[in-house]
Amino acid sequence: MGESWFHREFLTPKRLAFNVFFYGSHLAFFVYGWHSQATNNKLAALNGLKFSVWTSRGAGLVLAYDGGLILLPMLRNIIRVIRPKLTWLFPADENIWFHRQVAYSMAFWAMIHTTAHYVNFINVERTQVRPQLALQIHYTQPGGITGHFMLLIMLLMYTTAHHKIRNQCFEAFWYTHHLAFFFMIGLYTHATGCFVRDSANPDYIPTFPFYSTEHCLGYESWRFIIWPGLIYFGERVYREIRARRATKLSKLLVHPSGAMELRINKPSFKYTAGQWLFIQVPDVSRWQWHPFTITSAPEDPYVSVHIRQVGDWTQALGERVGAGPSVVAALTQAAMKGGEKDEKDDTLFGSRGDFVELDPSSVNRSLPVTRIDGPYGAPAEDVFNVEIAVLVGAGIGVTPFASILKHIWYRQRSGHLGSLRRVEFFWICRDAPSFGWFQSLLQEVEAAQADPNFLRINIYLTQKIGDDMLWNIAVNDAGADYDPLTLLRSRTMFGRPDWKSIYGRMRQAIDSGQYLPGTNSELKTTVGTYFCGPTPIAKAIKEATVQNSSASVNFTFAKVSFEGREVQFCYADIYIGALLSFVSCTAATHLRPGAIYVFYVG
Amino acid sequence: MGKLIWHEYSRYVSITASVYTVWAGYFGLLYRKFFWDFVNGIRRNPGGIQPAKQDAFFINIMVKAPVIQTISIILGLVILALEYPAPFMKGTAVHRSLITRVMLLVFQVFFAILFYQGTNGAIWSLVAIFGYTRAIMIGEVMKDAKDNKSKRERA
Repeated sequence: MGESWFHREFLTPKRLAFNVFFYGSHLAFFVYGWHSQATNNKLAALNGLKFSVWTSRGAGLVLAYDGGLILLPMLRNIIRVIRPKLTWLFPADENIWFHRQVAYSMAFWAMIHTTAHYVNFINVERTQVRPQLALQIHYTQPGGITGHFMLLIMLLMYTTAHHKIRNQCFEAFWYTHHLAFFFMIGLYTHATGCFVRDSANPDYIPTFPFYSTEHCLGYESWRFIIWPGLIYFGERVYREIRARRATKLSKLLVHPSGAMELRINKPSFKYTAGQWLFIQVPDVSRWQWHPFTITSAPEDPYVSVHIRQVGDWTQALGERVGAGPSVVAALTQAAMKGGEKDEKDDTLFGSRGDFVELDPSSVNRSLPVTRIDGPYGAPAEDVFNVEIAVLVGAGIGVTPFASILKHIWYRQRSGHLGSLRRVEFFWICRDAPSFGWFQSLLQEVEAAQADPNFLRINIYLTQKIGDDMLWNIAVNDAGADYDPLTLLRSRTMFGRPDWKSIYGRMRQAIDSGQYLPGTNSELKTTVGTYFCGPTPIAKAIKEATVQNSSASVNFTFAKVSFEGREVQFCYADIYIGALLSFVSCTAATHLRPGAIYVFYVG
Repeated sequence: MGKLIWHEYSRYVSITASVYTVWAGYFGLLYRKFFWDFVNGIRRNPGGIQPAKQDAFFINIMVKAPVIQTISIILGLVILALEYPAPFMKGTAVHRSLITRVMLLVFQVFFAILFYQGTNGAIWSLVAIFGYTRAIMIGEVMKDAKDNKSKRERA
């Protein structure tokens, strides 16, 4: 996007370092694999096959390396623990990006390796260096059988993992990707049966590992690369156990905007603001786990997620709990009416109607069994280490800030704000009404502010506005206490924010001491920006922070970036190359399993 | 849950299978071997399989002259041109025909299964055939079929 491929891959220091290390290490393994085969006197007979055997051994070693790497980025729990300590090493939350790079590399080297072996085996047959036929090696020996099976599995896994397929039928991707279990078994046993040997026939022994290392001269790579596989397996088992701990869906609220709020009690579930979890409702789908951002603060006595009925799973969930589309539509209509009435009544807070708590007895079915797994994603605790926090949520990227804002509010109430003095919250959205539930949360937070300067909410609506709406706003806005669109005290702004001028003005205000009373220009002020949303906006903000940093004001930037998958989101071009592509901007929190709504503050 | 559009999925399988087959066909030119020569053949040391006399026809078209391999390469490229699609294929009736794809892939299986390197390409093509057949069975239509109509029809 915009910049050339060369610029992106080679002129960005971090990416350049990655490329040099990643492809350099692959090449090094290939060269080592090639060299140690070619110079091994014991394998002189095999070396009669010349280039093909050197290539296959080299590429085989590289594939072992990739096989060891491919599961590392999927060790979610371990990554959650170690990543905050190694932020300099991990480029934000690019674990799935890394997974994909390894997969691409694997496909390439598999091609090299397979091609070389096709040449090897035909030459083995011709020269009879081993008394075997090519097809016997291909289809009767472990190496051949597992190899062909792994290729078939790769065909199925790669094709279903294409972002287009993942978007239209996530289940096809999710279930097919579990073939990885058989793939890994194939990988670890690929070189079994004493495949690389200095004798014409394999030298088996009766004890583990059932071959003698005297005559079986493979790289024994499985002894190294099996560990990530075992750890991953253990992690999946652990996740299953953890998910089975006592969990109760205590309340289900339906907000007028159509969002369902699930309040879940799980005493063993500990999390911090801004993390996400997987949720499973066996009644709806026995096996599927769906990721959602946590919208409650750690101080809340429950864990909540907000779910909009936008995908098939969420709709099925709505049906199951008796809040199907028809119910929600009726609610929304009533709420819209309620909103108008409220404004006429001139109550203290305008609102678009209240949420409705679903009464299980009215639908003749109890609330469904719910299980949650998590939390994932890094905590946003360092908000309290800066003087000024700028929180920017764009589109769906606003969801993590629900929890963060609530958390700040709780800490503010108990007086544990750390060094945090002011919060600027920016919400950039195409159309506000679809985020009704978030709006009501903002109302609560805004209303609770004793100090009018502590939290400032800036809402930018980027959608094109028709004439009718324009007049409507003009008529309703003048002289009203609340913004006609959001019913907040803060006014909605229209169009895209100009970050350079926003940060420029902020720096001036800080320098002149107007922004934070009591500070003077001798003290260094740190302004931390936390952003969640599409990359182009992130770039614009980052540029503005770099430009405006000065001796007295230090602007830092952290991308709370996310990856996930939901058909209903927008950013199609923005996330090309990322795990998913979004289709429309309107949906709120619902994402799908596996693909993962990773969210991280660096 | 979720709705898999079978012909869109099969396209990726078909492309992968065809690329594999073209590559296999290329190596089939360099290392020529009749896949089924073991059926009646005998093993020589050295020399490998000596095919039976009655298989002379296959040896002629695969080992003596790599006819099958060449056909496989060309056919694979044709399928790729159709699937990708190549600019001249875009908007043609053939491009939006699923049954054409099935036919071409059946031929691809038929040719690829004959030579030593083509086995996987053939098996993968079978997967694509399965997918396209499923698409035809449930009545899927290619999405850009409406773009393929003539200008008069569209208006």
